[in-house]
Amino acid sequence: MSVSSLLSLLVLLALAPVLPGIANRVKSALTGRRGAPILQLYFDLAKLWRRGVVYSRTTTVIFRLAPVALVATTLLAAWLVPLDGTTSLVTFPGDLVAFAGLLALGRFALVLGALDTGSSFEGMGASREVTLASFAEPGLFLCFTALVLATGDLHLEGMLGRPLAAVWPAVVPSLLLVATSLFIITLAETSRVPVDDPLTHLELTMIHEVMVLDHSGPDLALILYAAALKMALLGSLIVSVLVPRATLGAPVALGVLVGGLLLVATVIGVVESVMARLRMNRIPQLLVAAAALAGFAVILLLR
Amino acid sequence: MSFFGAGLALILLAGLSAFLLEGHGRLAGGVFATGLVGGGVLAAWPALGLLGTMDSSLSVAGGAFGMDLLSAWFLVLLLVVGMATGIYGVPYLAKAHPHRGAGRIHLVFTILLVSVAGVFAARTVGTFLASWEVMAISAYLLIMVDHDQAPVRRAGFIYLVLTHTSTLALVAMFAAWTGGEAGGGGWTAPFDHLAGASDGPLFPMTLILLLALGGFGIKAGIVPVHFWLPGAHAAAPSHVSAFLSGVMIKSGIYGLLRVLMLLHPVPPPAWWGWTLLALGLGSAVLGVLWALAQHDIKRLLAYHSVENIGIILLGLGVGALGVAYHQPALALLGVAGALVHTLNHALFKSLLFLGAGAVVLAAGTRQIDRLGGFARAMPLTASAFLVGSLAIVGLPPLNGFVSEWMIFRGLLETGTLPGAVRIASLAVVGLALTGALALACFTKLYGTVFHGMPRSGAPGMARGVDAGLIWPQWALATACIGVGVLPFVVVPVAAGAAGAVLGGTVTRSVGGIDRVAEGSTAVAGAALGLVLVLALIGWIRWRRGSRKAARVGDTWACAYPRVTSRMQYGASSYAAGLMAAFGPMTGSRVVSHAGSFHVQVADPVLDTVGLPVWERVSQAAARLRFLQTGRLRWYLIYLILSLVALLLYLWSVTTTQ
Repeated sequence: MSVSSLLSLLVLLALAPVLPGIANRVKSALTGRRGAPILQLYFDLAKLWRRGVVYSRTTTVIFRLAPVALVATTLLAAWLVPLDGTTSLVTFPGDLVAFAGLLALGRFALVLGALDTGSSFEGMGASREVTLASFAEPGLFLCFTALVLATGDLHLEGMLGRPLAAVWPAVVPSLLLVATSLFIITLAETSRVPVDDPLTHLELTMIHEVMVLDHSGPDLALILYAAALKMALLGSLIVSVLVPRATLGAPVALGVLVGGLLLVATVIGVVESVMARLRMNRIPQLLVAAAALAGFAVILLLR
Repeated sequence: MSFFGAGLALILLAGLSAFLLEGHGRLAGGVFATGLVGGGVLAAWPALGLLGTMDSSLSVAGGAFGMDLLSAWFLVLLLVVGMATGIYGVPYLAKAHPHRGAGRIHLVFTILLVSVAGVFAARTVGTFLASWEVMAISAYLLIMVDHDQAPVRRAGFIYLVLTHTSTLALVAMFAAWTGGEAGGGGWTAPFDHLAGASDGPLFPMTLILLLALGGFGIKAGIVPVHFWLPGAHAAAPSHVSAFLSGVMIKSGIYGLLRVLMLLHPVPPPAWWGWTLLALGLGSAVLGVLWALAQHDIKRLLAYHSVENIGIILLGLGVGALGVAYHQPALALLGVAGALVHTLNHALFKSLLFLGAGAVVLAAGTRQIDRLGGFARAMPLTASAFLVGSLAIVGLPPLNGFVSEWMIFRGLLETGTLPGAVRIASLAVVGLALTGALALACFTKLYGTVFHGMPRSGAPGMARGVDAGLIWPQWALATACIGVGVLPFVVVPVAAGAAGAVLGGTVTRSVGGIDRVAEGSTAVAGAALGLVLVLALIGWIRWRRGSRKAARVGDTWACAYPRVTSRMQYGASSYAAGLMAAFGPMTGSRVVSHAGSFHVQVADPVLDTVGLPVWERVSQAAARLRFLQTGRLRWYLIYLILSLVALLLYLWSVTTTQ
C-alpha cells in the first residue's frame, strides 16, 4: 500500500477505456478506413449511463447484480497487482489465486446474468465463454507458476515487482514465453480476434457480446467498462513481465506502464487486422498452445 | 469425553424414539429433531473445546474411544452436517415418502451418524473396524430406501461390493501392521501401539501404504475406484445423500490422515506422496468432467464429490511430500489445506444436496433439462443454492476459496524449494483446470435449474414446497459464508490439527501455525473489501437507476416475438462445447439428428472396467457353484471338514513349538 500504487490504480481506471479505442483505430488505419475516434468508448459510456433500462420479464435480481459484480471484482483484482512496479494495494501470500478467483467471480456473475434471460443466444454465448475460460485459466496459472519459480515469491507484488527485477536478466527466455502466453490469454479474455470478433453483427458468431444482449443503459455501460478494465489489467501483467519496473522509480514506472499498455493495445489492433477469426472449435487449441508456452517456461525454470 | 458419549447416546435415543413414535407424525419429528440437536451439541462440546486449545499434544484419553485434534476436527464437521441434514430429513421424508415409515429411516440415520463418530473417535484397531462396518451397513440400508426401483437396487449392490472390498483391504492392512510388531495385540491393539513402527521385514510399509490407499481410497471415492459413489449418492433420499457426500466419504480421508499420523516419526516414502498427488489430479479433473456431462442433478453433485476428494488429495499429497522431503512447513500447509477443504466440502456439498432435494421434491424429476425458472418459486432455496455453488467453485468470498487458496499455495510453494519436490508445482495446472470446469458446471446447473423460463409446469406449483426445508440449508449456507469471511478463525485451528497429524513438533519448530495462517487476515480483508466495493458500485448504479423507471419487456430474441421455453439453451447444449473439446475422456456421446440433440452419459471406469471385470468374476465363481447343493447334509459336512482342518492346523502349530 503506497500513494504511488493508489495513484497508478486511478490512472489505470481512467485510462482503461482508451485501449479498445486504440485497438479499433489501429485496425481501421491498417484496413484503409478512418475509423471511430480513439475516445469513442468514453462517449459510449456517457451515453449509455444516461439511458434508461429494459429488463426482460424472465430475469431475477441476479441479472441486475451481474454488471455491478463484474465491475467490483475487476476493480478489486486490480488492487492485487503492483501497478506502480513495486507495491500492490493489498498483498498476501498466494494472492494470485485471489486475482484469478475475482476474475472468475465476475465471469460467474455475467454468465448467470446471461442465463437469467432464458435466451438461446445468451445461453450459447455463456456456454462459449465458460468453455474458453476453462482453457484460458490453466494457462494463466501456468504463467503465475513460472513467475513463482523465477522469483521464489508467492505475492503478485514480488512476482511482478522487486524480486522479478532482481532475477530478470537470468530468466528472460522464460519471461518471453510467459508474455506471449499472457498475450494470447488476453486476446481470449477480452474477446478479440482471433478468438472473438468485437465488431461482428451476427449473434450466432458472437461470444462475449451475445452474452450481454439483454443488458441496456447503465448496466451495459458497466459491462463495457469492466471489459476495458480487464484488458488494461491483463495488459499490465504483460508489461510488468517484459519490463522490470521496480528499479525505475514510481513516476517512470507509471509512464512505462501507460506506454506499454498503449503498445499492447496497438499490437492487439495489428493482430486483429492481419488475422481472421478462428473457427470456434479451433480456439481451445490456440489456448492450449498458450498454456503449453507457459508450460515450457515452467520447465525451463524447473531445470 | 463423557459429554461425547452422552451426546451420541442421546442421538441414538432420538432415532429410537422416532422409530417407536412412528405414526404420531409431528410429535415423532419434534422429539427426533430435539434429541438430535441436543445430542449433537453435547457431543460436539468436548471436540470444540479440544480444538479451542489448539494444543496438538492434548488428547482426551479413553480406552476404546478417544479424541485428539484430528478426531475433533472430523467430529465437528460430522456433527454440524449431521444435525443439519437430520433436521432436514424430518419435513423432507414427510413430503417425499409419506407412505413409507420415516421412523425407521431416522433410526438408521442416527446409527450411521453414531458409527461415523465411532470411526473418527476409535482408538483401537477393533473399535475402528467395527465402527467402519456398522457405518458401511447402515449407509447401505439408507441407500436402499427406495428399493422398489431397479436402479436403486443396482446402485446399492455396487456400493455393497465396493464397501466390502474396502473393509477387506483395511483388515489386511491392520493385520500386516499389527502382525509385524511383536506383541502388537492384534485386534485389540490401541493405535498408540501402531505408531512409529519402522520399516523392515516385520513391517512391510509399502504393502501397508498400498492397502491404505485401496481401502480408504474406495471409501473416499478416488478415481478409478469412485464408480460406486454417483449411483449410491443419487439413489439415497436427499438428506442422506447430503450426509454421505458431505461426511461419510470423508472417513476415507480421515483414514489416510490417520495412517500418516501413525507412521510418524518414520516418513512415508516419496512415492506415496506422488501417488496421492497423481490420484488427486486424476480425481479432480475427471470428476468435474464427468459431472459436467451429467443430466441428473444428484448424480452431477455426486461426481463433484469425486472432484473435491481429488482437491483434498492434492493437499494431502503436498503434505505427504513435505514429510517425505523433510519440508515441515510445506507438509503443514498441505495437510492444513486438506483439512480445511474437507470441512468446506462437507458444508457446501451437503447444502447443495439439500437444495437439490427441495427442487426434486417440487419438480418430481431429477433431470436438469426438464427444470427451469425455480428461482421465482423458491427464492430462499435458490439463494442458498447460489451460495453453495459459489463456494464449490472456489470463488471469493466463500469458504471454498479459502481452502483452494491454501492448496494452491501449497502446490506453488513446492516450486520455491530445492530438489525433486519442485515438480509438484506443475499440478497447479490441474487445479486451475478443475476450478474453471467447476465454474462451467455450476453455471450450467444453477442457470438451468433456477433461471430462465420453466421447462415444465413444476415451478408454478412449487411455491411453498420448500417450507421447513429452508432452515437447515441456510444454517449450512451461513457456515459457508462464515468460514469464507473469517478464515483467520478457522485456518489456525486447522493448522493446529495438521500439526497433530505431523507429530506436534512441526508446529512449534517452524513457527508453523503462524506461517500457515499468514495472509488469512488479508483474505478476510479482501472479502470485506469485495463486499464494500460491491455495495459502493451497487449504490452508484442504484442512484442512477432510481431516477429513471426501468421498463420491462420480453427477452431479446432477434425480434422474434414468440419465444417459448423450449427455445432456451439446454444444459446438454451448454456443456456440449466442453464435451467436444475433451472428447472420449468424458465418457459421453453426442447423438444429434435433425431436430433432436441428446448426450448419452456413461461412467468410463464402471462401464469399461468395472462391469466387465465383475462379469469375469461371476463367470469364474459360477464354476464353484457345484459346491452349493442346497442340501443341509452337504453343509454339515463342510462344517465338519473345516473343523477338522482347524484342529489339524492347531495341532501342527503346537507340535512345532
